[in-house]
Amino acid sequence: MSGLYVRWGAVAVVAVLLVLLAYRHYERNVASLTPEEVLAERPDRVVRMTGLVRGGTLRGDLAVGRVRFDLAGQRETLSIHYQGPSQENLRELKTLVLVGRWDPAARIFQAHDIASVSNYGFVFGAYLVGLVPLAFFLFTMERKVGLLYNEIKGSKLYEPEWLDDVVTR
Amino acid sequence: MFFFALIVILVFSFSFSMDQQAARELIAGILWVAFAFTGIIGLGKSFSAELQNDCLEYLQMSPAPKGAIYLGKVAANLLFIVTAEVILFPMFVIFFNLDVVEDLPVLLLIFFLATLGLSTVGTLFSAMTVQIRAREVMLPILLLPLAVPVMIAAVEATRGALNGNPLALYRHWIELLVVFDVVFTVVSFWVVELILDS
Amino acid sequence: MLNTIIRKLQRYKGWFGAAGGLCLGLGLYYGLVASPPDYYQGEVVRIMYVHVPLAHTSLLAYTVLFLGSLWYLWTRDPVVDNLCHAAAGLSVFFTAVALITGSIWAKPTWNTWWTWDARLVSFAVLFLILAGYLMLRTFIDDPEREARYAAVLAIVGFIDLPIVHFSVEWWRTLHQPLSISMRGVSISKEILIPLVLMGIGFSILFVYMLIVRTQMLYLSSLLNAKKGRLLSQVHLAKVEP
Repeated sequence: MSGLYVRWGAVAVVAVLLVLLAYRHYERNVASLTPEEVLAERPDRVVRMTGLVRGGTLRGDLAVGRVRFDLAGQRETLSIHYQGPSQENLRELKTLVLVGRWDPAARIFQAHDIASVSNYGFVFGAYLVGLVPLAFFLFTMERKVGLLYNEIKGSKLYEPEWLDDVVTR
Repeated sequence: MFFFALIVILVFSFSFSMDQQAARELIAGILWVAFAFTGIIGLGKSFSAELQNDCLEYLQMSPAPKGAIYLGKVAANLLFIVTAEVILFPMFVIFFNLDVVEDLPVLLLIFFLATLGLSTVGTLFSAMTVQIRAREVMLPILLLPLAVPVMIAAVEATRGALNGNPLALYRHWIELLVVFDVVFTVVSFWVVELILDS
Repeated sequence: MLNTIIRKLQRYKGWFGAAGGLCLGLGLYYGLVASPPDYYQGEVVRIMYVHVPLAHTSLLAYTVLFLGSLWYLWTRDPVVDNLCHAAAGLSVFFTAVALITGSIWAKPTWNTWWTWDARLVSFAVLFLILAGYLMLRTFIDDPEREARYAAVLAIVGFIDLPIVHFSVEWWRTLHQPLSISMRGVSISKEILIPLVLMGIGFSILFVYMLIVRTQMLYLSSLLNAKKGRLLSQVHLAKVEP
């Protein structure tokens, strides 16, 4: 029985490590700000900002990669100067994640890249639903086997010798 | 069984107040829900008569082949349920103001085939559930998931016939019913030995 | 014969668990880190690496249940019945998890939690049949009769499943074409590696779980026999050396 708990303790430790790694990855590559947060916080570094490209505001040449448009959040709208690789994602009425720097003096967001929209919540939920119950199910089964085996050993009605082969502990 | 189906029809006609156009779309589904529940009540009773005085034991001990007993039960269920359907259908026609005269033979064929499909599987499960606890609950739980193809095919074919579509448009549903009937008559005839064998 | 097989499997079952865990770990690495996000679906495509193998494993479990039921009807060995019972429990678990993960995947891609697609409905019917199977087993007292009825139900349900699939496919595809189907996703190498790894991993893990669960059910029926609750002659005869 103690071997069982040691084994599953190791599994739990590995799972916690994976969750921590995933959280660091999330902080660095996934988390993004809304236009309202950018206005309020005025971050002085490269940030990721999520918003919707306003319809009818897209001007410039996509093939060259110099475009201006407005990005709308819940309440605020920011004007964007995008200079970077040409992306087919950049269309009107599309939700985008822009990578760039906020210029508070000119009130312009200088973007240099477009990242894919993060919907890690769904991925995380699916993996959680897929793997955690599996581990829990397996753990309860193994535990039940151990308990049953002990109970059978404990009740001394008869002891067929091949039982030891069937249940190797 | 008959009055139960009548009540189902009345409840449905109260809960959906509809014109003739809406009735044409919905009527096939309502019809088959009513028929399926009626059928389940009939199927549930098909072996319960033998429970008294241990008749089931004697039936299982009898030298007759189990498949023959099973086919007899299927035939009896089929007869009862189809009779109930034939009596109930004119009431549907009256309550929901339908127009069915020219498609009547096709409708009767659909009723027969779909009821046969329900009866083959249902009689098998009835023989199974009559010998266990909670038999009234278990029969629909076991039967309805397996009868999904029958229900879909019956509803679609009936809708086609009631809308007056040409037969070619819904013939594949009738063929599906035939396939289901043949497959499950054969399979049930084979496995019923294992159920009526004590 | 069966006892020797079980003894062999028991002895080496740890290897199954280790191999399954290794495959799953590699598959998780490739699926979550190494493979690129899909062009159309974005990151959500990673759900496929857990959803599709789970669905396949549930079908594998039901196939095992079907073959085990035939085997039981042939040999009437109560250990085979324990195997069937274990396979059914695992199959219902995998089917439920596959349905839930599929629903989570459908929300961002199809913008709905549920659609009446042929595959979805077939899996829902499979889930209902298996749930009925497990319920049926709880309502029968005599273990020999329980095993027999359950085997019959499993066989009839297995034969029914393709008919269900075809009927639902006709039913839906005659009305409206599917917006996105699995065939629309082009299978490239980056996608195939984690998919195959996770599939193999889940299959091996399923074998491991099957062994453990069979052992669990066997031990509990043995315990019942020891406590004198179970008077089946077959079980008692099995225990004699």
